[in-house]
Amino acid sequence: MTTVDGRHTLDREAERLAYKPPEIRHDKQGDMEDEARINAAMHHFVKNFNTQTASYLDGCLHCGMCADACHYHVRTDDPRYTPIWKIELFKRTYKRQVGPFAFFYRLLGLKRHVTIDDLEEWQHLLYDSCTVCGRCSLVCPMGIDIAGLVSMARHGMFKAGLIPHELHEVAKKSAETGSPLGITPEKFEDRVEWMADEHDVEIPMDVEQADVLAVMSSIEIQKYPQSIAATAKILNAAGETWTFRTDGFEATNFGMLSGNPDWQKVATMKLIDAAIKIGAKMIVLPECGHAYMALRWQGANMYGKPLPFKVMHISEYMADALEKGKIRVKHVPKSVTYHDPCQVSRRGGATKAARVVLDHLGVDFREMQFGGDYNWCCGGGGGVVTITRADGLRRRVFKLKMDQVEKTEADELLSSCANCRQSFDDSQEYFNWDYKMGSLMEMVAENLEEDGS
Amino acid sequence: MKKRPTVGEVLQAKGVSRRGFLKYCATTASILALPPSMIPRIAAAIESARRPSVIWLSFQECTGCTESLTRSASPTVEGLIFDAISLDYHHTLQAASGDQAEAARHAAMEENHGSYLVLVDGSIPLGNPGYSTIAGISNLDMLKETVEGAAAVVAIGSCAAFGGIPGADPNPTGAVAVDELVTDKPVINVPGCPPIPMVMTAVLTQFLTFGQLPELDKHGRPLAFYGQTIHDRCYRRPFYEQGKFAETFDDEGAKAGWCLYKLGCKGPITYNACATAKWNSGTSFPIEGGHPCLGCSEPAFWDKGGFYNPLSTGKFDSGTKLAGAAAAGVAMGVVAAAAGRRRQDKFTREG
Amino acid sequence: MDLLEFARGPALQVAAYILVAGTIWRIVGILLLREKPDYSEPRARGGLGAALKVIYSRSFTATPFKPATLYPKMLAYVMHIGLFAVVLLFVPHIMFFEGFLGFSWPGLPNNAIYVLGVASVASAVALLVRRLTSPVLRLISNFDDYFSWFVSTLPLVTGLIIPLRIGFRYEDLLAIHILSVVLLMIWLPFGKLGHTFLVFITRGTTGMVFERRGART
Repeated sequence: MTTVDGRHTLDREAERLAYKPPEIRHDKQGDMEDEARINAAMHHFVKNFNTQTASYLDGCLHCGMCADACHYHVRTDDPRYTPIWKIELFKRTYKRQVGPFAFFYRLLGLKRHVTIDDLEEWQHLLYDSCTVCGRCSLVCPMGIDIAGLVSMARHGMFKAGLIPHELHEVAKKSAETGSPLGITPEKFEDRVEWMADEHDVEIPMDVEQADVLAVMSSIEIQKYPQSIAATAKILNAAGETWTFRTDGFEATNFGMLSGNPDWQKVATMKLIDAAIKIGAKMIVLPECGHAYMALRWQGANMYGKPLPFKVMHISEYMADALEKGKIRVKHVPKSVTYHDPCQVSRRGGATKAARVVLDHLGVDFREMQFGGDYNWCCGGGGGVVTITRADGLRRRVFKLKMDQVEKTEADELLSSCANCRQSFDDSQEYFNWDYKMGSLMEMVAENLEEDGS
Repeated sequence: MKKRPTVGEVLQAKGVSRRGFLKYCATTASILALPPSMIPRIAAAIESARRPSVIWLSFQECTGCTESLTRSASPTVEGLIFDAISLDYHHTLQAASGDQAEAARHAAMEENHGSYLVLVDGSIPLGNPGYSTIAGISNLDMLKETVEGAAAVVAIGSCAAFGGIPGADPNPTGAVAVDELVTDKPVINVPGCPPIPMVMTAVLTQFLTFGQLPELDKHGRPLAFYGQTIHDRCYRRPFYEQGKFAETFDDEGAKAGWCLYKLGCKGPITYNACATAKWNSGTSFPIEGGHPCLGCSEPAFWDKGGFYNPLSTGKFDSGTKLAGAAAAGVAMGVVAAAAGRRRQDKFTREG
Repeated sequence: MDLLEFARGPALQVAAYILVAGTIWRIVGILLLREKPDYSEPRARGGLGAALKVIYSRSFTATPFKPATLYPKMLAYVMHIGLFAVVLLFVPHIMFFEGFLGFSWPGLPNNAIYVLGVASVASAVALLVRRLTSPVLRLISNFDDYFSWFVSTLPLVTGLIIPLRIGFRYEDLLAIHILSVVLLMIWLPFGKLGHTFLVFITRGTTGMVFERRGART
């Protein structure tokens, strides 16, 4: 029997995940006048009002059901986290300036002009508390893609210099150095060489002509370099003529996440140019969710015409290669659950690929309850994982993910997104959680049948 | 001045039995919504009432109202009640004609100044005074002259009450209702085309027994008879609630006696006692004969669209104006979109 | 002209013009804005089929969202079904439509309509209570939400009290009922009740965009 000395009072009632709302911080970049910030925001709000967004912004019923789909609202009950409220300024600007009855809204003063205070207040709602996961878009009875609207509203915020500093720093670094973590081509080459040695695998670099251009995310290069080796093993085993390129290796796109279409285009064009230069028929994207959105679905639109090559996520590539028999894998006698990266599955349409791969691995696959397209987000998407001031909120909403994973009682937790993996790792450490996020690609790479095809 | 006989005396002289008389009193009580205990009082009042003097003026009318009252298959108490009043002037019924007739009117007016009743059937033309004259006197002048010394005016039939058919669009004679001209005397409207005989006499009975005017609705009609719609009291009402409707005049629904709503029945908006008092000595009313109510006791019943158009039918112009509205919508949409684009350009230039 | 004649005649007429013009105005005003082309390689055919699919499928809640949205969804279903039944299956209404459409269809017995109408009003009231009490709805609601609730519930209420009379005359109640419909027709294209037609555009758009990606719609 242990005794308690009584010097410290025992508190068994305190909520373990007690949540303190983050200190409200209105970050500002640059030294624009308020008027100029508003004008910049207006400019980049109205730019996005096309037939599609107009119908969405005109169609909202204010039914509030999106709140029930949003992890931020579900975990905090804060009504401001209602997804459609996050784009209130965007919506208001549409109705006042461009909608079919805009004239009357202005004439009668029914929709206020956006003020600098509004914009500052919405910084928290458009960045800290939205991962652009798109779960709200699926619940909306009008079928409004709210997450897509959040991405567009961010354009105005970025141009007004009103985004969280941390995200801005990362995006800026990404624009200046080509990598959000400041990984230079030389450093990338170093890491690749190191991995080639370490894993005893041949990794082609800067080949002049190749069918496949493989790219990486900085998170992998920095934190999970074994991904580089895994990618190489798989592409080698499949017998592809492929290469990494120092002039186009970075798959992440913080221009897109932070809301700067100019930087988004620069990052995307690097990959497109590199692929065209080597005559690639395909770019294989790494385990990264938003990279898939940026290149697979928005790349051609940045390019201004259809891309002259295919774009595949590594999970799609693996599924395809396994189905065609280009690679074969050993069976893995484990139970596995899979976390769907929002941008790949729900919003990208590649949900099936991971299931095909897991099927070939012969694992005891345990789908999470309401997994797949309805998965709870890791909480780190949309650039949120970089916003350290939002860590408390992010970890609070992660509880939903933990519950969803734990219910499966699977041995292994896998995903196919380094960004998800990073947020999982952070929360795992914070909560001392039992589940450690693994990589689908690495599991395939580790279990490749050596004799190949 | 010779003493007028009481109503009771007149009825007795005409051979109305005590039983028949009390039955009439009971019916009157029920139609006036009086408790049964009032029946003896009504009887006593009627029996002892002096014959009031009544002047009946007929203007632009068809004599249908008089016919309704007098053309019964057999003599009725209603008809006899009518006899019981001193009908000093009624150019259809009176024997006198010409100057004698007019002299009778003037005599009655002088003799009973301030206490006689004026009954009017027919509307009054305000156009050319020559449209309708009696003894060379225009209807308007005769009405004004006669009403001057009256205690009250009863407008019998829809023409007198609301202008009726003479007043229907386009109203060539400028016909108007009595209450548009008589504003300084009580006017009781007893509309219908024609009104139910029972209703006419009951109004008179109430006046001559109690000396009071009935409570009226917003159209000046006695609430006792015009307080409920035909639809409210219609025996076919259950079919309406069940959604069983005759679609044509000869289909199975019509034969089965289903609701005539779809055939244009105006029962729901028509206030009258037909469904309870009935016609032809209580035999039936039009809906029982398989015909929808025309709404004849309502103002402007002649001008409310086709008799056979269902009530709920809206009144729309042809589709061309709607097409015009659609075109206007397209134009507004184009303008709005162009303005929206201009607005976008303005901001993208500035920002 | 009495109130009923006014309601059935000019009021309804003008309301019909506004309804048609406003609806087309709003649709055209949206569809004629700039279009954003999508050059990405489609995974699947989007197109009209996808639009129709989602127009239908979004009428039902996806299973994961059912527990959280059950209550408002049930209310919304009852409210809408009741409303549609009352508008389209009440015999006098059918005859109203027949008056300008030229054809008719079978209706429901009035008693069934009364039940549906009362259920619809009850749901509408419950939805209003929810809007007034839920922190989320209170935050995001504006004048449009409350006024639209009012103008869409009013015709149901005015219609249901016609058989009750309650001290008014039938033709006055009918006139008030028609005038409440007139108000609804006039407001419908301009406020959020525009979802009666916008729902096809928003759902259709999402159907085309996301089906094209092969993503969940």
